[in-house]
Amino acid sequence: MSEPITRRRILVDYRIQASKCADCGRTYFPPKFFCNTEGRRSRMNLVDYFYSRGTLTSGSVIRKPTNKFLHVGSFMAGIVSFKDGNVRVPGRITDYAPPDGELDVTRFIGKGVVPRFRRLYMDGSQGLIYYSSFNFSFEDDYYPYQEYVKTEPPNASERPGIVGYGVYLPKFRIRSEDESGLGVRERTVPFADEDTTTFAVEAGKRALIHAGVDCRYMKKCFVGSESTPYAVKPSMSTVCQALQLGEEYEGGFFSGGIDSQFACKAATDLFIDAAALVAYPTFGGEYVMVIGSDNSQADRDDPLDFTVGAGAAAYVFGKRGVVATLDHYVPYTSDTPDFYRRDGQKYPRHGGRFTGEPAYFKHVGTAMKAALKVSGLTPKDIRFVVCHSPNAKYPYLAALEAGFQKEQIEPGLVVRYIGNLYSGSSPTALATVLDMAEPGDRILMTSYGSGAGSESYIFTVTKEIERKRERSISVKQQIESPHKEHVDYNTYRKWKEMS
Amino acid sequence: MNAPTGWKAKPHAAIIGAGRTAFGEQWYKDPEKLLMEAGIGAAESVDLGLRRRDIQACYFGSFLYQATNKLGLVPGYMARELGINIPMSTTEAACASGGSAFYNACIAIKSGTYDVVLVGGFEKMTDRSSKIIDDLMFAADPHEFDAGFTFSGLYAAMMAKYIHDYGRGDRRCVEALAQIACKNHHHAVNNEYAQYRREFTVQDVLKSPLIADPIRLLHCSPISDGAAAVILAKPELAKKYTDTPIYVIGSQQTTDDVSLCTRESLTGIKATRLAVGKALKETGLSMENLQIAEVHDCFTIEEAMFLEDSGFYERGKAWEGIYESYESFKFSKHIPYAKDGQEFIVNPGGGLKADGHPVGATGVRQIHECFKQLRGEAGKHQVEVDGDLNLALCHNIGGTGGIAAVHVLARDIS
Repeated sequence: MSEPITRRRILVDYRIQASKCADCGRTYFPPKFFCNTEGRRSRMNLVDYFYSRGTLTSGSVIRKPTNKFLHVGSFMAGIVSFKDGNVRVPGRITDYAPPDGELDVTRFIGKGVVPRFRRLYMDGSQGLIYYSSFNFSFEDDYYPYQEYVKTEPPNASERPGIVGYGVYLPKFRIRSEDESGLGVRERTVPFADEDTTTFAVEAGKRALIHAGVDCRYMKKCFVGSESTPYAVKPSMSTVCQALQLGEEYEGGFFSGGIDSQFACKAATDLFIDAAALVAYPTFGGEYVMVIGSDNSQADRDDPLDFTVGAGAAAYVFGKRGVVATLDHYVPYTSDTPDFYRRDGQKYPRHGGRFTGEPAYFKHVGTAMKAALKVSGLTPKDIRFVVCHSPNAKYPYLAALEAGFQKEQIEPGLVVRYIGNLYSGSSPTALATVLDMAEPGDRILMTSYGSGAGSESYIFTVTKEIERKRERSISVKQQIESPHKEHVDYNTYRKWKEMS
Repeated sequence: MNAPTGWKAKPHAAIIGAGRTAFGEQWYKDPEKLLMEAGIGAAESVDLGLRRRDIQACYFGSFLYQATNKLGLVPGYMARELGINIPMSTTEAACASGGSAFYNACIAIKSGTYDVVLVGGFEKMTDRSSKIIDDLMFAADPHEFDAGFTFSGLYAAMMAKYIHDYGRGDRRCVEALAQIACKNHHHAVNNEYAQYRREFTVQDVLKSPLIADPIRLLHCSPISDGAAAVILAKPELAKKYTDTPIYVIGSQQTTDDVSLCTRESLTGIKATRLAVGKALKETGLSMENLQIAEVHDCFTIEEAMFLEDSGFYERGKAWEGIYESYESFKFSKHIPYAKDGQEFIVNPGGGLKADGHPVGATGVRQIHECFKQLRGEAGKHQVEVDGDLNLALCHNIGGTGGIAAVHVLARDIS
């Protein structure tokens, strides 16, 4: 497919766009310029089904796919109807591997389905990567349907902070076979059609739903990652287009942002920038989104291959409807070459035991202690402490060494169940404790990025968190979901390397 | 004659000759050579003789030649092969390319512009078989391709919906959709041109490899190479070329959304319903008057839907008629569909299912088959009916129903 064709298709495909007659209400997919009933003078408005719930009208199990979809194996394709507008669209059922024997497709007719932003296929190893939302998961499966309700936020608080957040963990898991004592029992695995950009969109979608803010007022978006699908071409612009961040104008949006890179702290480093921007008088926008997303990379036989996971966490920063104010920030950086990946190389390298003491512990410990000093707080003033979690051992030891107790550390140690999410690691740990935090709780988060640097943030939770709690799919829910599926090592490697 | 008493028809055109190649994998022949073989066969079948210079125009139908064989400008190739420089055009209408080319040729004859034209359909699908599943999806909306659908997948979605809505858990519905394959393979056993001349049982069909559940391999028409051609003449001139012309008395083409998901129904083809309705109205006939039909059974569900779209069976009831007919007549030479004492033989040569489905050739091959049947020249697979065999219908659709070409042929029009 060519670049111009791709651009045209993006406008329809990212949001399941249709056109609706303003006079009779008849809706058309793909969008049409006039209504068949009302005639050529009809007024048509664009609508989309990005946040809608659909119903599977019929489908089939594709056993002999086109060459473009060979990588997915056998899968179900279906025709999905949206009640609102009586529109039907084709879609692929994702996160579902049909059995080898015949599947009675008729049993699936009438099931509820939810659109998911996923990768379709790629033009070889050098061409474009195609995404769409014409991929659906079953509503009664791993991802429940969530409504996006834009609410009028309360008046601005004194301090900016987190207005909403969302974590996206893929449905599939691998049980860890590691006996090294790093404490990672289970890890998230991307499906064959997922990558860092699709994680970012899904996490961003959840953050918008949780925040309940109008996407038009999001003026900046940062996507931090070390596994972006393109070496040059931002994931941020895909996120912006799919989530419609900023005021829309001729198919584009009045918003900005970048992809950032600093190993595992590519996203958290920008929390302070996001908070600063929304407080800056001439910023001209209400909110900033920061997403940490990674399909964490590790070569076969690398010890990292026993700990890497996949997923994303997204945060919306603003001044209105704040669930946790950002109170203190302390960064710490040195040129320490503990972990790196040269341009064009597929997997990172690292310095063995060197990655611990002079790298992780030095930076995390220094930032954490400095944050306590700057804030004038002691460990007892903090309810939860979360750190970047390459495994379950490092953050535990670092926090203990800074004077924290087990009960302050344990709640955020979700790395045990999801693995190391690289840029998504400390943001996901933060979301886990926010899911259970109460108004007035203080949270100390310390990130770490190889190369090397850390930053510590101290947040204070507000009453607003209780109002928004029901809009969240918690990290715990995702970890404990009865619908998660375990895959074997070969499937894990295959899917991970496709992403 | 099976027509109503006092019935008369005004023909659009007369078919005076027909030829075809065998269908199947023909790796040793270029597409234009296949078309020539069929065209020469058609010309030489004209009883009283036809000279090349009698042909005033050519209408070709093909779908994928640009993708499968990297060629375009079919008229240029055929001008070279035929050695004549007359008007020629190529119609692309996916699987209905042949039927649509024939439709255009009928208009040309009816308009009075030409006295004699050649219609040819061809396809060369096996030359790039590794990408043919992708290429066939040119005839679907790109969103259907991007949803991972294949053509078998789209028809499987129709079949699943049909079984869900009308079968309602009755196993006979599933068996009926397999019986269609068994019937058409049975019909093809004596067809010398057919790609698959062997019998299959219902169990063979239901145990064949899954392609797109619920569709299995033996529910599908094959990937084929082949060509077919017919010669059309002005009705008034037909007897100059043959003593037994076959008249085209109904010629209709209708269209609908390219995409299956946006159509009115997943269990019927609107374009078929409209085209058959118009053709019957045009000819003053009803389905009860028809004795044989060549129906577009690219997948068996499509034949079942035709039986309902045409009105032969009630909506949702075709599977019952198919099941009962098959059980009653499965040991006959041809297995008819029965209704109220009427017997209606569908796909007497095996249809797309067993005769083969070189996409652009199919619509013309259907005309060839009915021409031969109505003239009593179908050889070992000649249909035998009580009385004269006089009326036949050809039904050719493109994509999943984005276009339909329906033609009614008659041997005796008064």
